Amino acid sequence: MTTDLNKRALVVGAGLAGMEGALKIGSAGYEVYLVEKEDTMGGVTNKLYCSFPRWENPRQLLDDRITQINNTEEIRVMTGTVIKSARRDGDRFVVDLQKAGNQTEQVAVDAVVLATGFELMDASVYGEYGYGIYPNVLNSLEFEARLKEWSSGSRVDTPKSVAFFKCVGSRDRSKGYPYCSKICCMYTAKQAGLTRELLPETKAYVFYMDYRAAGKEYEEFVRSVIETKHVRYVRGRPAKVLPENGRLLVRAEDTLMGVPIEVEVDMVVLASAAVPRKETKALAEMFGAKTDQYGFLENESFNPCQTGDRVFFAGACGFAIETAGAQTQGAAAAAEVVALFNRAGQEAC
Amino acid sequence: MPREKYRDHDEKSRAKVDPYKLVENLETCLACGKCVGNCPVASLTPSYNPRQVISDVLNGYTERWLNSEEIWRCFWCANCATNCPNDIMFPLLMIQLRYLATENKYGLKYIMPFKRFALRAREDGLTFAPSEKGREKIKRLRRNLGATSWPDISERAKTEYKELFDLTGATAYLESLSDEDERPVELRYTEGRITNE
Amino acid sequence: MNKERVVAPEKLFPEVPESIFLFRSCTGSMEYPGTENAIKEVMKILGINIVMDPDQTCCSGYLLTCSAYKPELSLAVTARNLAIVEKKNLDTYMFCNGCYGYNRELAHIMHEHPDYKQMANDVIAKQGYHYEGKTEIHHVQELWYRLKDQIAAKVVQPLNGLRVAVHYGCHYLAQQYNILDDGGYPTFHEEIIGVLGGTTVFYKERQMCCGYSVGRGFTHKETTVQPHLYKKFKSAKEAGVELMTTCCPGCNVGLDREQPNLTERYEEEFNIPVIDISQLIGLAFGVPLAKLGFEANTVKLDRVLEKLGIGKGDSHDH
Repeated sequence: MTTDLNKRALVVGAGLAGMEGALKIGSAGYEVYLVEKEDTMGGVTNKLYCSFPRWENPRQLLDDRITQINNTEEIRVMTGTVIKSARRDGDRFVVDLQKAGNQTEQVAVDAVVLATGFELMDASVYGEYGYGIYPNVLNSLEFEARLKEWSSGSRVDTPKSVAFFKCVGSRDRSKGYPYCSKICCMYTAKQAGLTRELLPETKAYVFYMDYRAAGKEYEEFVRSVIETKHVRYVRGRPAKVLPENGRLLVRAEDTLMGVPIEVEVDMVVLASAAVPRKETKALAEMFGAKTDQYGFLENESFNPCQTGDRVFFAGACGFAIETAGAQTQGAAAAAEVVALFNRAGQEAC
Repeated sequence: MPREKYRDHDEKSRAKVDPYKLVENLETCLACGKCVGNCPVASLTPSYNPRQVISDVLNGYTERWLNSEEIWRCFWCANCATNCPNDIMFPLLMIQLRYLATENKYGLKYIMPFKRFALRAREDGLTFAPSEKGREKIKRLRRNLGATSWPDISERAKTEYKELFDLTGATAYLESLSDEDERPVELRYTEGRITNE
Repeated sequence: MNKERVVAPEKLFPEVPESIFLFRSCTGSMEYPGTENAIKEVMKILGINIVMDPDQTCCSGYLLTCSAYKPELSLAVTARNLAIVEKKNLDTYMFCNGCYGYNRELAHIMHEHPDYKQMANDVIAKQGYHYEGKTEIHHVQELWYRLKDQIAAKVVQPLNGLRVAVHYGCHYLAQQYNILDDGGYPTFHEEIIGVLGGTTVFYKERQMCCGYSVGRGFTHKETTVQPHLYKKFKSAKEAGVELMTTCCPGCNVGLDREQPNLTERYEEEFNIPVIDISQLIGLAFGVPLAKLGFEANTVKLDRVLEKLGIGKGDSHDH
């Protein structure tokens, strides 16, 4: 079996899924363009202080992947680059890239992996929570930045009490999205647990409808946050956040006791719904891929990695996924590309 | 308290509670409690709990609420419906529960005061138009403003309004309202429960 | 995501209407006739023509929610009233949250359940009416917000930083779609008060119900409504509120008429006058006091008028 090593792949997005995909395609000996909109690789994982369920610092994982990518000569990394347009030309895609400094470049590739990732929904539609109105109402990524600050020793304006709201925008047919954003139960437990670790004098409350811990070591993780880090879990979706005496008053019902309650806190963290980035839909159309009504990439029947002819996808652009899952999906998409190129190579003989 | 035998979910009993088909999406209820968090009545009477009403209706336990005092306390502020992530119009369930309760002779003391107002509104074409002495005050206020002494409502409007009552069976219903054989209501769900009473 | 809930005023009113149908409110024309008058005066100054119809009856919503009426009656009454408006080819504007909320809810039900619309039409056909469902239902306060800049231009008596708090009322905020705010964090009244020169005061229980509708003020006054209102007024008093505005004569009754009873029961003075926002706009426009009808208020406006430098019985023509 010979392989046609002239085949080239394009990976759009250098988050964990995209990086993994590029690595696996590159180590199979094929050339890869790894295109990333931001100036650095790493995607959302760059913003994380800690990952679940092992309380690890994702920086080590990212640095390892980035080093390996830099050491793989088949991978050409293009940061600060976006895709302006693309068209089919037989079995190839001709793609126009716009790089930093307004330079353009045209490339031809034989397969595409979309790994554009996710972002958090804008929670300002929830006026009742005061996002964008009260200064101490944050979404989970903004809160992660505060965790980083506190971990580096800053103790300016630390809250005496923090409330975490889950399902903000998820499981909501009225103002949000009906689906479950999958990762929030786990990362909220992580953020609440870390708050108690970094600021032992601060109280933490998590307001939940359910907690979904379906994964290896996940249930143990959440229980440890409740039992050893002493975070109070209150079952009830909060109804309102009101300003009171310079603090924030949270009104909810403790549904397990059947009593309406009020809690005074200093900071509210909203686990907003995970939505695909806006570019995903446009990119899908450019490459002939399918998206669903929310903009997530749709897969073809029987193949969870493929979303169009010679187009594959991986990571949170298909649906919210945790770090390990993103890596797995990146590798799976890469396997599809390599198999495609290998078969083409065979036919060429 | 003895253990309750859990009933089988019965579609027909739910149709009895919602004959006007205004809350057909009751099963979308996630029991999240967002409704109760903002409910002004729940904060004063914790045994009134919209989420629990929905749960009981779905499970076939509606009778528990029919002879309860709680269902007569809802304000229709619709904070629950505004907040609900599944857009369940809870007040529309509440009015139907009240109709069902009065059919079973419960809570009539909370409706009888309105029978008088309703029959008067049927004559006036306006609601809460006061009796003779009160009318003098209104006429004076209006004249001082430079407006007509009584709101400008035509005879045709009054006749047709009355006719609508007769045509839709409202007159018959109002006249049949009576608190004879009324059965008492009391606060339910207070046993073992934190209340303010 | 569902159809749009909160929309910008330019989307609600792409063009400012020349003529509007003003829906007569029972409470508004009897308990607080100054409100209806104030709206007419303000609209005159803004150059919008008001049309009313003596054939229009009560919306029947209040007694529907008290469970005295059954939906069949209210559906027919709504269909008849809106059919009257449709014949004039106008959109209908309510100045009472109750009329607005009930008409809108019932119109929505008829829209979603064509068999109810048919039933209502069958009844009103006997009187010669037909309801199509094409007239749009708005609230006058939405028009005020749309015309915020025009209102700002016509202010002759700014409010001198008067501390005004807003009571939006539940039936507007509870409509689920195509409204200015769905009860999250409404600010449109505050913006209007801002252009009139008042200082807006946010108090914690701003969005709490007035307790008037559904008749709980008759059946449960001491048990539920009074403790409830006490919380609301306590929060307003702590925030230093001098005047409260509403956009519903029903809320006006609930908040205004009950204050002396609260003072008696809880032995605490509140003294917060409650007026309609149209009357406040009228004040700022220099409409003579006699035409604004503050006589009808239980809690008098003496302190407020003094602060604004308007004497009682003054008819200033600036």
